[in-house]
Amino acid sequence: MILIWMIIILLAGGILCWLLSKSNSPAIKWIALLAVLIDLVLLLNIWLQHGQGLTANTGNWMIQYQSAWIPSFGISFHVAMDGLSLILVMLTFFLGTLAVLCSWKEIEKRAGFYYFNLLWTLAGITGVFVALDLFLFYFFWEVMLVPMYLLILIWGDKNRRYAAYKFFIFTQAGGLLMLISILALYFIHGAQSGTYTYDYLSLLGTRIDPSVAKWIMMGFMIAFVIKLPMVPFHNWLPDAHSEAPTAGSLILAGLLLKTGAYGIIRFVLPLFQQYAADIAWWAMLFGVIGVIYGAMMAFAQTDLKRLIAYTSVSHMGFVLTGIFAFREIAMQGVIMQIITHGISTGALFVLAGMIKERLHTRDISQMGGLWSYMPAMGGAAMLFTMASLGLPALGNFIAEFLILLGTFQANPTFTVLASTGLVFSALYSLRLMQKVFLGPPNAPHKVNDISGREFIILAALSISIVLLGLFPQAVLDVAGKVISNKLYVIR
Amino acid sequence: MGTAQILFWSLTALALISAIMVLVSKNPVYSVLWLIVVFFAISGHYILLNAQFLAIVNLIVYAGAIMVLFLFVIMLMNLNTETEPQKSIWMKFFGVVAGGLLLSFFISFVISSADLKGKSAQLKEGEIGLIKTLGKALFNDYVIPFEIASILFLSAMVGAVVIGKKD
Amino acid sequence: MTEQQLMALLPFMVLAAASIVIILLIAFRQGHTVIQVTGFLLMCLVIFAMWYVRGVLPQTIAPLLIVDGFGALFTGLIVFCVLVVGLFSYIYFEEREENPREYYILIFLSTLGAAILTISRHFMSFFIGLELLSISLYALIAYLRTRNNAIEAGIKYLVLAALTSAFLLFGMALIYMETGSMDFAVIAQRLNAAGKSSALFLTGFGVMMVAVGFKLALVPFHLWAADVYQGAPSPVASFIATVSKVGVFAVFLRFCQELHLQNNSAVMMLISAVAILSMISGNILALRQQNLKRLLAYSSIAHFGYLLVAFLPGNNTGVEAAVFYLTAYAITILAAFGIIILLSPGEKDADSLSMYRGLFWDKPFMAIVLTVALLSLAGIPLTAGFIGKFYVLTAGVEQRAWLPVIVLVITSVIGLYYYLRIISTIFADSPVTIQKERSLNQFFYTASYAALVVLTLLLFGIGVMPAVIIQGIKQFLVIDR
Repeated sequence: MILIWMIIILLAGGILCWLLSKSNSPAIKWIALLAVLIDLVLLLNIWLQHGQGLTANTGNWMIQYQSAWIPSFGISFHVAMDGLSLILVMLTFFLGTLAVLCSWKEIEKRAGFYYFNLLWTLAGITGVFVALDLFLFYFFWEVMLVPMYLLILIWGDKNRRYAAYKFFIFTQAGGLLMLISILALYFIHGAQSGTYTYDYLSLLGTRIDPSVAKWIMMGFMIAFVIKLPMVPFHNWLPDAHSEAPTAGSLILAGLLLKTGAYGIIRFVLPLFQQYAADIAWWAMLFGVIGVIYGAMMAFAQTDLKRLIAYTSVSHMGFVLTGIFAFREIAMQGVIMQIITHGISTGALFVLAGMIKERLHTRDISQMGGLWSYMPAMGGAAMLFTMASLGLPALGNFIAEFLILLGTFQANPTFTVLASTGLVFSALYSLRLMQKVFLGPPNAPHKVNDISGREFIILAALSISIVLLGLFPQAVLDVAGKVISNKLYVIR
Repeated sequence: MGTAQILFWSLTALALISAIMVLVSKNPVYSVLWLIVVFFAISGHYILLNAQFLAIVNLIVYAGAIMVLFLFVIMLMNLNTETEPQKSIWMKFFGVVAGGLLLSFFISFVISSADLKGKSAQLKEGEIGLIKTLGKALFNDYVIPFEIASILFLSAMVGAVVIGKKD
Repeated sequence: MTEQQLMALLPFMVLAAASIVIILLIAFRQGHTVIQVTGFLLMCLVIFAMWYVRGVLPQTIAPLLIVDGFGALFTGLIVFCVLVVGLFSYIYFEEREENPREYYILIFLSTLGAAILTISRHFMSFFIGLELLSISLYALIAYLRTRNNAIEAGIKYLVLAALTSAFLLFGMALIYMETGSMDFAVIAQRLNAAGKSSALFLTGFGVMMVAVGFKLALVPFHLWAADVYQGAPSPVASFIATVSKVGVFAVFLRFCQELHLQNNSAVMMLISAVAILSMISGNILALRQQNLKRLLAYSSIAHFGYLLVAFLPGNNTGVEAAVFYLTAYAITILAAFGIIILLSPGEKDADSLSMYRGLFWDKPFMAIVLTVALLSLAGIPLTAGFIGKFYVLTAGVEQRAWLPVIVLVITSVIGLYYYLRIISTIFADSPVTIQKERSLNQFFYTASYAALVVLTLLLFGIGVMPAVIIQGIKQFLVIDR
């Protein structure tokens, strides 16, 4: 029940913000912040309660709640949380808090409706991470789309309409294919067992005819790799990321991409073990292509936010490769990568937003020497670019190292290729630092260093990325139970 | 060959010839006049089938009222051979093909259907076409559609008034 | 005819009486308000009558009609739509010069036609119902004679509808020739006895399909839709989109169910071809539309294509899906047209997309209703349209009609584009204020707003809690045969 309350708090907070939008009072921001913070506290409470006993606990699910929704279809409101969900929901609320904070000054007009959309997106994402009914999952999958679309459409940059369309249509196309797959699975399971249900736990045992299974799995895969994004389907990402407002980019990069990875881990692998193994080689290949292609494209960008967007493509390539290595150690790396990428890339987007607020441009060539004006921001930027290129002692290093380690056992060639991606990432990261913060000052006027609010945001992000780098075991312990499950590790 | 048989064949010939004349006449007024002949011939067939009511209605409504309307429209629009729009040869071609297909379809159906053979006329057979039977059916079994039809006319009337009235 | 049969026909008689009452009111020179209120109460009376007679259902009134759960369900939907359309009509016509009073007579007559379609089980009632529906519509479409497009739209509809009626009769005649009956049940028997489907029957069905396709605006008989939607007064367009199509679909569904046409592969091929064509052309034609009413016309073509996908399986899921989809669609389209009607300034309709620019910042309530309606048309969760589309897909996947299902998915992604285009216009900057004096009749404004609120809540309610409606539909369909 607590899970539902978390979602309801976000939804209700959103509606409250909207209702207050007429008055345009500062209370709106505080309500939004409060809603996310309450959820964060609730979640920490869950972690403290269940986190310790995890290893002793025999069942995978810490919390479960189920009630009938549309009984005639066998749809129930089934939400549950295991280690994987816990980590991702934690990330959601953490980044959600920061998203509210970094919109504090940026969004002046129509603030009520803005926070409504923000909170509803977060609610949808939370729902995706905890839903255990396939219909419910699809439902939340779509619910997070519309507010995100509006965020980009209304508060985005110049080219926002195009970006918003592209984002929506790409995701929706994948989503509908997934819906067909869900339906097909539903009927196959129903025909076998006689009970028609969308419940994940019941569907797990479905035996599917191989020829059909492949197609059904592809339906799921396409939806997830569009979100992830895998390389031929990454097209929407640079536009959406660069046009969205700062908080939008933060949520897109930090959370929405993770729903794709989560979907593959939670649904594709357990439901279609055998067939997933069949496409593993291809998936890893595309993952590696994504790593290299994303890095190279990032190097070529002059638009700051586009550059960061392409680094996401590169990092999510690691995730795809890691998942399909089918090694426990790679899977641990994937979990780490999901979190650390959320934090480091999110932080870079926040920084880009701050720079844009001051210089009113995203063009790298018009920046330079910002360090001399803003040493504190420069320091933070240094930290996160280093994290992004995988410097040891920071979270991303652990993640990528574990993934490469795991992948090496599965396919050495791809591992070697993926490692070259790391070299490229050093290239673009250093170029980014060089062009923006170092070199001769190029700013038209004097700009202020970070404010107290911004300091809090960056400090929270910095501390977490360092902590993740130094003590990754805490995360791995929580997720460990899930990823050592034989469902995710074959052979 | 009895009288009925002779009547049937001569009416058939009349109907076919005048139908063809409707198509080939250059002057639309002639076409309409030939059409009236077609209706008369068809009414003759109805009488042969012992369906007097249909025959009379066909004459009154089609050959009478509707043809007068036709003539009015043609005369008001002053259509004649010169103003007739030129149809392209392709239109004619496709028209012939479509009509021919439908015709051959019906002919093949009639030929294949056994119980239609040799039944050219049913003089004084059956009561289905008689006014008495029709009236009984209409006011007993089919009273509801009869009432609905009256509502139909009501709606047509209201519609005509609405569209046609002066403000 | 027994007393019970008369009882079962009570709602329809009230419906017929309603138009007479309106005529009398006009004869006694009553004003628009009186007529509007009386009409509203009469429609409520029809609904009450339906509730009152629920105990005697199902009743067969041989040989033409059958009042069963199926018919009651569709009639209920039709009367609900008329209630809403009637309510919106007041504001729309009050702002225009024309005398709106005869409008209500025609609306009720047309409704009667649609209602008769839902309960007919015989070609004769099918045809009479259809004619009653269309003849009133001719006048309704051309009602605002002074506007340019109105007469054009009316004539277009008149000529095409008359032509397709001829096709319908011809098809019926062919089927009669084959089976010797016009009763659906008897036709089914004879066809079963014959064993195989004959070419004559198929031809007859195909020819009838022209008329049905015309009324439902299915490709390739859709050419009238955009012009008529645009030219007709907005309430009439919403009437065509809901009442007329629901009625025709109901009789078509009953015909196909009765004859078990789902087992006839040739017929199914024909229908799925029409469905696929409709989905593709409807969505593609809508892409570049700048006129909201035309766009809704094209989107309705696509939506009836989706509906045919639900229709294909022919089992219970299919029928339920079709009914559910129609309900969701009717509510959605009424909400959308409600906004168009409320925003229409005096001389013309608010149908140009540019009039909706920045609507959200100007009139947030209307913008939200329209957005929700569009999202529902696009099939996005939380709205009724999503559950409808989901239901249709369920029916399609269950039957393994893969090709139509895949086409449905692809075309609805294409369709997203134009719905999003409107939504992004609504949320765009620089609001254009639609000048509209709103002091005409405060009471009816409030009533229309209330109706819109109810429609929106229904959209959300069905989208979040569809179980109630689905149960209701199932219970109604059980009162059957």
